[in-house]
Amino acid sequence: MADSGSSGEFSASLTSSTLPPPRTRIFKIIVIGDSGVGKTCLTYRFCAGKFPEKTEATIGVDFRERLVEIDGEKIKIQLWDTAGQERFRKSMVQHYYRNVHAVVFVYDITNAASFRNLPAWIEECRQHALGNEVPRILVGNKCDLQDSVQVGTEVAQQFADTHSMPLFETSAKNSNILKDGSSRGSSDHVEAIFMTVAHKLRSQKPLVLSQPSDRAGGTVNLSSCGDSRGEGARSWGCSSC
Amino acid sequence: MDGWMDGWMDGWMDLLYIIYLIFICFFSTEPNVGRKQKLTEIHQALISDPVDIETLKRAAATRGGLLTDEVRRKVWPKLLNINVYNLPHRPGRDVRDNHRDHNQVVLDVRRSMKRFPKGMPASERAVLQEQLVDVILEVLKRNPQLHYYQGYHDVAVSLLLVVGERMAIAMLDTLSNYHLRDFMDPTMDSTKHILNYLMPILEQVDAELYDFMMRAEVGTIFALSWLITWFGHVLSEFKHTLRLYDFFLSSHPLMPIYLAATIVLHREKEVKQTECDMAMVHHLLSRIPQDLPYELLISQARDLFARYPPSLLARRAALQSHKSLSISTFQAFQLSTLHQRPDSVLQRLTKAHGAATSGHGLGAALSRDRGQLWGKGNRMVKMAVWGLSATLGAAMLAVAQTAMEWGPDVLLQLF
Ligand SMILES: Nc1nc2c(ncn2[C@@H]2O[C@H](COP(=O)(O)OP(=O)(O)O)[C@@H](O)[C@H]2O)c(=O)[nH]1
Ligand SMILES: [Mg+2]
Repeated sequence: MADSGSSGEFSASLTSSTLPPPRTRIFKIIVIGDSGVGKTCLTYRFCAGKFPEKTEATIGVDFRERLVEIDGEKIKIQLWDTAGQERFRKSMVQHYYRNVHAVVFVYDITNAASFRNLPAWIEECRQHALGNEVPRILVGNKCDLQDSVQVGTEVAQQFADTHSMPLFETSAKNSNILKDGSSRGSSDHVEAIFMTVAHKLRSQKPLVLSQPSDRAGGTVNLSSCGDSRGEGARSWGCSSC
Repeated sequence: MDGWMDGWMDGWMDLLYIIYLIFICFFSTEPNVGRKQKLTEIHQALISDPVDIETLKRAAATRGGLLTDEVRRKVWPKLLNINVYNLPHRPGRDVRDNHRDHNQVVLDVRRSMKRFPKGMPASERAVLQEQLVDVILEVLKRNPQLHYYQGYHDVAVSLLLVVGERMAIAMLDTLSNYHLRDFMDPTMDSTKHILNYLMPILEQVDAELYDFMMRAEVGTIFALSWLITWFGHVLSEFKHTLRLYDFFLSSHPLMPIYLAATIVLHREKEVKQTECDMAMVHHLLSRIPQDLPYELLISQARDLFARYPPSLLARRAALQSHKSLSISTFQAFQLSTLHQRPDSVLQRLTKAHGAATSGHGLGAALSRDRGQLWGKGNRMVKMAVWGLSATLGAAMLAVAQTAMEWGPDVLLQLF
């Protein structure tokens, strides 16, 4: 489980930023995974609130951000959307791993290869010296494509457990539909996923550790959050999925 | 008999060309004295023997670039030393068979909808997208040492939309072996090396801006897509992309870096007002304003290049350690463009060659291809007509349509 055991180290990297101490804290999250799994769509969905009509291949690194409010605190969530093609990664993407607070691994549930490549992505993170205290989550995207599922939930969950990550299966396109075809009503699942990461990061700050972290503030409402394990074998912070 | 026919045809073509020029003078939507003169100069340069490549390069770099797609179809191949009468054949089905980059190419082309003209029907776009995959894979197959990169498809589509499938293959092949060569290594180390020229240019021109960007640790990845797609990936107006392609096709392979520098310098105030932070500066710079003064920036980039040539930057910034194939082969490439024959000669030579070898040689193949290219209702015709109508207005359109009724070759021969 990616727990908050070494949060001291982590929060040190948060506060030692060279920025003038802004009112709004910044959470920097890097999104990685094979080309075409939907990283651009997911980050766009979270920052712009909708599925993009036309995405294009990401060349190098794209940056998106969104201001959210958690328990009355304004927090800037910065998403670094990276190119999936392998040859960009070695010399190009490096620079953007600096001061990363959390990692989102994405695979495509309709593309088994994108799932098989996850260990390579985890290895890349390791090479960039991201410690275990940096929260990671695993996102299986394109849940709306029910007819072409290639990666089952069980095998994905097993993988996530092995690597102490919570797993989320979702769709950037139809964010209200879950893998079993059921609808989540009006709530936006993609948003909930990124907000969960933000909550997790926020809860890692010693200052706020004492406060209850399961109360979602501002724009999103997460039914269950914080460090409690969700149903089944899910790790931290899984919302009502 | 043949010679007599050719002479007669040539005279007829010249007459048509004069009519064309008159129409340009009278009906051009933007009355521009320089424009008419430029078209005349380009025509002269094209029929000189050898082709006057210096004039063509100057025309491509200076104000307005090559002006129309008609002219581009004539001049672009010359800038790359391509014989339009000896183009590669259309790729067969087997071009897609188990190429290592096949999936990535298809993925990138499929989501490249933005690169096609807005009004284009989806079915037409789908045909062009298939051609785009073929063009890319054909060039990669001919050059096993080259590796596809995301963004290569942005270059390929810009060529395809102007010159059609076969000439796009020829152009992309040459570009890949010269101008784009560094980007096609197995790793991006050479590309990074090219990007490393950017900051030294800024340092020479605006030390304060340079310091600011160094303090922000912004890096140079914001300019990566500019460089490796010649800005095709980031500009939403195709006419701007084409203008830049005119410029880059006639310039040193490092020129996109100089243009990148002028864009950063142009936005100097904005940059300095931003929070001095990697994310903020990267964010600002990677989003290119769509209303940039391209002509001004192009001329500034040429000035910068003259004042701070790559060799000088390399010395000052200790950049020479890495070998760039694009830079080291550029001189030889330039030399190769100096001895080209004009199209009329190339056509005769190719015809003669074709007749000597077989009954249906290249010449015949070419005219067959052209017949297809200009066939009624063909998208290439439509695109040509769009190009014409954009620049010359409705009057010229009427002429073009009449010309098409006379025969497809007439339009191709206008210049
Ligand atoms: N059906 C479906 N398609 C998606 C979803 N997310 C992304 N896509 C499509 O998958 C392709 C790749 O998406 P993109 O975000 O560019 O992938 P990236 O390379 O990881 O950034 C695009 O054609 C998207 O429209 C999803 O949730 N459902
Ligand atoms: Mg992307």
